[in-house]
Amino acid sequence: MTYLSYFKAECLALFRTKQRVVNALLFFVMVVVLFPLGIDPSADFLSPAAGGIIWCAVALSVIVSLESMFKENYVDGVLTQLILSGLSLPWLMLIKVGVYWGAMVLPLLILTPIFSEMLFLPSDSLWVLISTLLLGSPGLFLIGSIGAALTVSLKQGAMLMVLLILPFYFPIIIFSSAAIKAVQLGMPYGGLLALIAAISLLALVVSPVMTSLCIKASVR
Amino acid sequence: MMAFDSLADFIQMGTHGAFVWSTYGLVLLILAGLIANTIQGRRKTLRQLKKRYSRETHS
Amino acid sequence: MNWVWFHKLGSPKWFFQWASKWSTPVFYLGLLCLLVGVIWGLVFAPTDYQQGETYRIIYVHVPAAVLAESCYLSLGVAGLVYLVWQMKMAPIFIKSMAPVGAAMAAIALISGAIWGKPTWGTWWVWDARLTSVLVLFILYMGIIALQNTLEDVALANQAAAIVSVLGLINLPIIKYSVNWWNTLHQPASFGLTKKPAMPMEMWLPLLISLVGFYFLVAGLAMWRMQSEILLRERRSQWVKEKVMNDGV
Repeated sequence: MTYLSYFKAECLALFRTKQRVVNALLFFVMVVVLFPLGIDPSADFLSPAAGGIIWCAVALSVIVSLESMFKENYVDGVLTQLILSGLSLPWLMLIKVGVYWGAMVLPLLILTPIFSEMLFLPSDSLWVLISTLLLGSPGLFLIGSIGAALTVSLKQGAMLMVLLILPFYFPIIIFSSAAIKAVQLGMPYGGLLALIAAISLLALVVSPVMTSLCIKASVR
Repeated sequence: MMAFDSLADFIQMGTHGAFVWSTYGLVLLILAGLIANTIQGRRKTLRQLKKRYSRETHS
Repeated sequence: MNWVWFHKLGSPKWFFQWASKWSTPVFYLGLLCLLVGVIWGLVFAPTDYQQGETYRIIYVHVPAAVLAESCYLSLGVAGLVYLVWQMKMAPIFIKSMAPVGAAMAAIALISGAIWGKPTWGTWWVWDARLTSVLVLFILYMGIIALQNTLEDVALANQAAAIVSVLGLINLPIIKYSVNWWNTLHQPASFGLTKKPAMPMEMWLPLLISLVGFYFLVAGLAMWRMQSEILLRERRSQWVKEKVMNDGV
């Protein structure tokens, strides 16, 4: 096995279980719809809140999509093979997260303009929203993969994973919705984007190592 | 040296006696709970281990 | 520098014996300091010229808040120690400390809320400090939940260590982000966290109470660690002798 063949195998496996990605996207749609239904459908409320709503929905749907990330591989023994393959496990984990990120972020980027229009997000903020999504979502996926690896041996691990991982999402959500607020108020937002990118980069360094540690501890 | 002239003053705590005393009461409750939990955990561990060891020696 | 203590610390048996010598005195010293500090604070400390008597909540609120953060710091360090050296004592420490830290965070939150009502007129504000203590509380609960859910001990150790370390890395970021978020959303309407410099008669009891909390937590942690050591080392001979002979 090489890194390239693993990448191809992951892409194929994800493509075969594409319903999971579709489910996560539907979940995203549901969460977004909850806010106008549950709180207030008027533009006065939605327009300033849109960025935050979309970000909360993204964070939740990312957790939901990642929850089963390692489950099948754990059950059918693929994880053991990965550990024994002689390739560096952190890199393999990074490839896997990368594949999941690619599969989720592209449809999200298509859905975002539609929903930001439905939530009356001013169009000049849309670009900031998309750039926060591009910069912040790798962080979400990388941190989330640690949670998925932690709970891989549990049958009902979803709730625990949400409880563990969501606090670590707070900074990304705060900075992203703050950047969108800032552009609506005409304030500079470049620094915030840099902070989001910094968090994602930090996650890029830390997360694959942590994920593979968890995987090694879970598979025995 | 005391900051209060009488016991009634002390209980009253200016105007917000209820707040001060309920805080201290709740803190006491939580600390007592923590201590009780610690002691209970210790007892439970000892009981479990004793049972286990005596079972081992008998069988 | 002599590193022997560090190696000794890695041995549960050594720690158990050390703790059985020190845990009880440390606990009672803590209780004594706490009582002295609180009674001094409640009875003898002068009235605050701004807040009147309500400020006396400070003598439990501030120590608990400090302890909640110190405990998390220690958890993070223990997690790091476990990930790097696989030291046996580190997960025992994490497991014993997490509920204590959660209790401290809960005390800080509750006393803060009750203090907030008379001083700012609401039970809760999304103040930076309050929010970060809330996040801290959630993190503690996550670690406890993880320990309780994972049945495999080795996995639970590793998982708790990883979450602790992640929290250690993330806590400054969370604090900073919450601080930043707070200044954006709430232009300083509540200046309560900026207290005027306290006179000596006020902060001395606070200091004593803080020391009391530290010792109390240390004593409790040692007790909890002792039980955990007994449970985990149940297959070794010394534990068996200890349990069967004197019941500890």
